[in-house]
Amino acid sequence: MFFRMIRGTLFRQWKKMLMIAFTIALGASLATAMLSVMLDVGDKVNQELKTYGANITVVPKDSSILNNLYDVEGGDFGSSYLKEEELGKIKTIFWAFNIVDYAPFVNTEAKLDDGTKVNVVGSWFNHHMELPTGEKLDAGITSMRSWWEIKDGKWIDEQKSDNHNVAMVGTAVAEKAGVKAGDALHLTGSAGDRTVRVVGIFDAGGDEDDQIFMPLNTAQALSDLNGRVDSIEVSALTTPDNELAVKAAKEGPSSLTVSQYETWYCTAYVSSICYQIQEVITDSVASPVRQVADSEGAIMEKTELLMILITILSLIGAALGICNLVTASVMERSSEIGLMKAIGAQNGSITGLVLTEIFITAIIGGVAGFFIGFGFAQIIGQTVFGSAITMRAMVIPIVAVLVVLVTLAGSIPAIRMLLRLRPAEVLHGR
Amino acid sequence: MKKRRMYFRMITASLIRRRSRMLVALLSIAIGATILSGLVTIYYDVPRQMGAQFRNYGANMIFTAVDGSFTQDDINSGLSYIKKDDIVGVAPYRYENVRIREKSILAAGTDMEGAKAASPYWSIDGEWPSKDSEILIGANAAEQYELRIGDDVTVSYTPENAQVSGDNGEDIVEDETIDFKVVGILDTGGNEEDYVYMSMSDLEKLTNSETKIDVAELSISASSDQLKKYSQEISNQVSSINARLIKRVTASETTVLTKLQALVLLVTVVVLALTMICVATTMTAVVTERRKEIGLRKAIGASDKSIIWEFMGESMLLGCVGGILGSVLGFVFAQQVSIHVFSSSISFRPLLVPITILVSVAVTGISSLMPIKSATDVDPALVLKGE
Amino acid sequence: MSLLELKDVFKIYGELHALDSINMKVEKGEWLSIMGPSGSGKSTLMNIIGCMDKPTKGEVLLDGVDIAKQSSKNLTAIRRDKIGLIFQQFHLVNYLTAVENVMLAQYYHSMPDEKEAMEALERVGLADRAKHLPSQLSGGEQQRVCVARALINYPEIILADEPTGNLDEANEEIVVDLFHKLHNEGTTLIVVTHDPEVAEVAQRKIVLRSGKISKEVVNKNFTGKIHFE
Repeated sequence: MFFRMIRGTLFRQWKKMLMIAFTIALGASLATAMLSVMLDVGDKVNQELKTYGANITVVPKDSSILNNLYDVEGGDFGSSYLKEEELGKIKTIFWAFNIVDYAPFVNTEAKLDDGTKVNVVGSWFNHHMELPTGEKLDAGITSMRSWWEIKDGKWIDEQKSDNHNVAMVGTAVAEKAGVKAGDALHLTGSAGDRTVRVVGIFDAGGDEDDQIFMPLNTAQALSDLNGRVDSIEVSALTTPDNELAVKAAKEGPSSLTVSQYETWYCTAYVSSICYQIQEVITDSVASPVRQVADSEGAIMEKTELLMILITILSLIGAALGICNLVTASVMERSSEIGLMKAIGAQNGSITGLVLTEIFITAIIGGVAGFFIGFGFAQIIGQTVFGSAITMRAMVIPIVAVLVVLVTLAGSIPAIRMLLRLRPAEVLHGR
Repeated sequence: MKKRRMYFRMITASLIRRRSRMLVALLSIAIGATILSGLVTIYYDVPRQMGAQFRNYGANMIFTAVDGSFTQDDINSGLSYIKKDDIVGVAPYRYENVRIREKSILAAGTDMEGAKAASPYWSIDGEWPSKDSEILIGANAAEQYELRIGDDVTVSYTPENAQVSGDNGEDIVEDETIDFKVVGILDTGGNEEDYVYMSMSDLEKLTNSETKIDVAELSISASSDQLKKYSQEISNQVSSINARLIKRVTASETTVLTKLQALVLLVTVVVLALTMICVATTMTAVVTERRKEIGLRKAIGASDKSIIWEFMGESMLLGCVGGILGSVLGFVFAQQVSIHVFSSSISFRPLLVPITILVSVAVTGISSLMPIKSATDVDPALVLKGE
Repeated sequence: MSLLELKDVFKIYGELHALDSINMKVEKGEWLSIMGPSGSGKSTLMNIIGCMDKPTKGEVLLDGVDIAKQSSKNLTAIRRDKIGLIFQQFHLVNYLTAVENVMLAQYYHSMPDEKEAMEALERVGLADRAKHLPSQLSGGEQQRVCVARALINYPEIILADEPTGNLDEANEEIVVDLFHKLHNEGTTLIVVTHDPEVAEVAQRKIVLRSGKISKEVVNKNFTGKIHFE
């Protein structure tokens, strides 16, 4: 009989029940969408912040002072260099998955035909890598210098066949030398000369405007620097620093206890990623670029906090909305409940009946809402970030608990209130 | 006149005497309105607040000299073209080659307060120099010279005319020297780590020369279009300086900020749409409950029009009250968010109050209209009989 | 001309003939009761007379106007001007006080007038309960408010549907006394009821059975003052 009554309400009052299910679905979808977006927004914003370029630089031990302070003439920097063959190892560290991009640099000098010296930088543009893990990555400055404005021509495409004797020229150099995209440029280095085709002219709004960029091997050949790399810029997704990370960065990982060390090593702090890079690249010093790393941390923290607060607001809104409607719809059934009491139903059985009905409705609404919400999250992800929002497993229990709690909170006070009424009052139209 | 009084008497009676039901409806409307006004306020404030966060990246404009160097007055006249509130920090720099323990190093003279504001990402171990003869030393340089905080260091400067004759390393002309105390070690992960920083006046004393500035870094909180306008205006109007944008910072900021704003916009739209539907269903439920009353009014001779007027009046009054409540609560919410997230307060947008109220009234009105209509369409006898 | 005349009225729901060729007349000032078991068509007849429903076939002339041919908007106007309704479930607006409930009828009819509404409540003996909400009134008191509301606009006909159905004996007596009073004042009364005692006191009684008038009895002992001692 119990189930018959429930079936009766669900089927005969389907319009009302549909409305409750609909509202619960709305609330659940709101919660799902906001939670999914909130949990993923850190990663997404982090990706976006990659437009600021590298947040880690890797240089040979003891060499940075040499070339920055003493302005050593191009060519031989002594024994301080990084090995080109080790570059791939960066993608093998513990946090390899968080390394989104990186590019090696080799700096040298060359003479133009009119005798002027220019800075030549060899690097990757969109260097294609296929990793042992099966992951494919196009790394290089095409993505790491996204702020460059290409004034003429286009970016160098390393994956094309004629990809060796090409160059991109900074606006300042281009102006001085009077070259434009498509021109040939003859460069004489200390160990050889090359005629390169100018593929693009760029405006970087900084020192790089005085430089010529070309593929790594071409630049190396100019000054007999084969296999050598001066520095590596790494763009990694990181977790904003906390006290532990600050301590590790300041006092060195050796100052940490074993368990602290493990936590630190297994968290994507910028300092632990630096440490891991130093482990795989011989004689290297990896340090965070404060300008990028710190700002990233601040912005991500703010964005996440903002999203958390908006999520909380919408969760409260959804909860109160559902609660409200459930209360309203339970109150509406006063005469029915009065009747059931009049024919001798126990309070417990009435409560059970009403709750079961509401819960069946809530489950239907909640499941529907979950999928709708997931859809909303994807719309947000695709529209704003152009990529899908990852579904976190933890959203499901949160939404489920929310729906259950809110439905309970909405129905129980109303049921209790109705149970206090005397059947006669309810039946004889108040 | 009398009739209108009865109208208001009925509506207020309904609102006051059906307190619990009306609170349910009012609460729902107020939540909707709160979310509306709160999120819209945040949406409008995000670019400003987030923009301030992006100033963490430091300078986005630099002044360089058109000819040699420029002075503080030139900077000031350049700054006069920029809205005062937009200026986050200005740091003038003068670079000179000095020597510490006979090794050459680049020294920068600056205004420490300005540098702190313009380069918030500078991480200082120790303290910023605040007095004369205090020096900030880059981490690499500190390592090279094995200097620690609290150490004394003598910085010497060879006047330019002396350098010509002293080419082979012998000191012919006496150097200017100042004894400095290392108060802080600078960690940036960039070139700055190789330099030493001192106050402008110390560098002037050391070099025995007048104020001259090589470059000034500016951190300005403005959109990239606005920045472009500023830089052109300054370059055109102030003959001694050339204002340039740091493309890396400005271009990236525009990219990321646009996305963030799109994110908040979309979230706002989704949340608002869902909340408004939620409000609408609640209102529908609240009105549907009163089908019987509508039937009764019809039975005792009320025309459809007057019933719609009364019930709509009630709903809209509720919408209005909910909207007012919501505007206030929404502002409080936005304020809290702003204080907690950005540690700054939000400006009150008066226009948002009527908009919130209007939207609440419209949503409640429309969502009540349908059940009212459907109740008036049914024969009163059926409504009265049907339990 | 009779105040109300039904000519060959049918109300058909699918196969069911709720009303099957009803012919009847009600004169001005008359007190008529309609009796019959459940499902005999009482309510349908009452709804048609009360302008809340239209017949499938036939003419219903109220004051010479054929209700069957009116739009629902006009029906509302006719109901407002000519009919006073009394319900078994009272149907008072539960958030309005007794006097406001009475004023509600005035409001839809013409102008609310609190003094007049109070006088109406006085006539049903509820002047002291005027400021109470329906939930604070007993069943009998609620029904008396309902009567006051029905007569406030001086309707041509007062139509009562089981007016005593939800009342105890004492209250039933009060309401029946009220009907006598109204009758003596010249109001036309049509009372649909189950209760033979209530039906007997009317001037004339019609008994419905399966949608047809099966019996019509004129009360020869009717004095109009039975319960006034």
